[in-house]
Amino acid sequence: MPRYTVSDALVLRRSPLPSGDVVLTLLSEHGKWRAVARKGRLLGGNLARLSLFHDVTVQAYRRRDDDLAVLTQVRLNGALPGLTKPEAYPYAHVLAELTDALTVDTHVGERLLAVVASGLRGVGSHDDPEAVALAYAWHLLELAGLAPHVGAPTQRPVATSDAPSGPSGDAPGDRPAPVCDRCGAVATRLAVDAGRMRCDEHGDHVRDVWLGADGARSLALAVRGPLRAAVLAPPADRTRAWRALQAYVREHVTEVRAVTALAREPA
Amino acid sequence: MRYPTPLLTLIRALSRLPGIGPKSAQRLAFHLFNQPADEVLALARALEEAKTGLARCPRCAHVMASDEEACAVCTDPSRDAALLCVVEQPADVLAIERSGEYAGRYHVLHGALSPMHGVGPDELTIALLLGRLGGVTEVVLATSTTVEGEATALFLAQRLRTLGVRVTRIAYGLPVGGDLEYADEVTLGRAMTHRRDL
Repeated sequence: MPRYTVSDALVLRRSPLPSGDVVLTLLSEHGKWRAVARKGRLLGGNLARLSLFHDVTVQAYRRRDDDLAVLTQVRLNGALPGLTKPEAYPYAHVLAELTDALTVDTHVGERLLAVVASGLRGVGSHDDPEAVALAYAWHLLELAGLAPHVGAPTQRPVATSDAPSGPSGDAPGDRPAPVCDRCGAVATRLAVDAGRMRCDEHGDHVRDVWLGADGARSLALAVRGPLRAAVLAPPADRTRAWRALQAYVREHVTEVRAVTALAREPA
Repeated sequence: MRYPTPLLTLIRALSRLPGIGPKSAQRLAFHLFNQPADEVLALARALEEAKTGLARCPRCAHVMASDEEACAVCTDPSRDAALLCVVEQPADVLAIERSGEYAGRYHVLHGALSPMHGVGPDELTIALLLGRLGGVTEVVLATSTTVEGEATALFLAQRLRTLGVRVTRIAYGLPVGGDLEYADEVTLGRAMTHRRDL
């Protein structure tokens, strides 16, 4: 393995140390890895480039495979200043923390990097960053192979990401709603432990999370894609949608604190 | 060979401190073992007194002696009570004080918003801040220029503006004495955006 490597990466997490160093969690096309930026907390140098959610190209030095890489050069490819806005900031954390949690032992590669970068861009620029975060969060679970089973994708031709949806038959509302895996009726609940959609009659009213028909459809759109359709058809009850995501992620991945914070009852 | 239990306990306790790994903890433990008993006891007393003798100021959340009613800045009558500077950590108060350019009062948040680390508005002293704005005409947001610090500043600005207080942010720009060509593009971009007339 070469001692010096150069890769494009997203900064998923920063952990400043009292010594002035910063340990960074980076996501690149090779997967997630950690590196230390020596004296990264001090003024000057690479500090500003290595901010949270920044898209950077880094040169890293690693003497042995099991060593923590040391960043030696950093170039900023893109900052997303819109993510610091109060209406976007919590949702950027959701995507970053969820990605971090999903990539513990997996190698999801270039596709994941593209989706996370796209999600962060969407959160930073879209009028409804919450809808973007919800759709991308479920889609990240799908990419990691952990999404709930929402049935087969629609046979209807789907809109491309740059084509506007309209009355020609591809509006999100026209897509078939997910159905109960037991009876085929319209699903309204997410059976968290089973990872299945259920109707009111067959769902467990204590353990399953009630989403309503629109919430279930929105979840299914996010899992099946295209993501644009899911963003255009967000669930009406957002707190309930975050609760479903929280319960599901806690059951199948781990506790994601940024999701837990959003699943709380609004003050 | 297994270390004696008291030594092992000390090494474990020291290695929990930030910036101290197992090897440094071991070195410190042996250093303490070789020190005269009165010096070690003085250190133990200092640690205990620091914990029991310090508290958060009930007005600004800065560090103060626990037998005082408020911190030295809050009780100083020469301070401008209409000016409030919001910082993340008590160490930031000391840094601004060293500059000698600020004569108002402070408010310490004890962190910055970071949902992935479980830090939301309720974990910071934001409620205390919003409750002490009587007589304050300007709030200077001096949180870090990290993404977390920026987000915290924007969140506070949104809240404070609804209360009719003037909200300002510390200036962005190049470090004094720094060469332009070595500045990173983010800092340079901010410096350009927030340039001022001369």
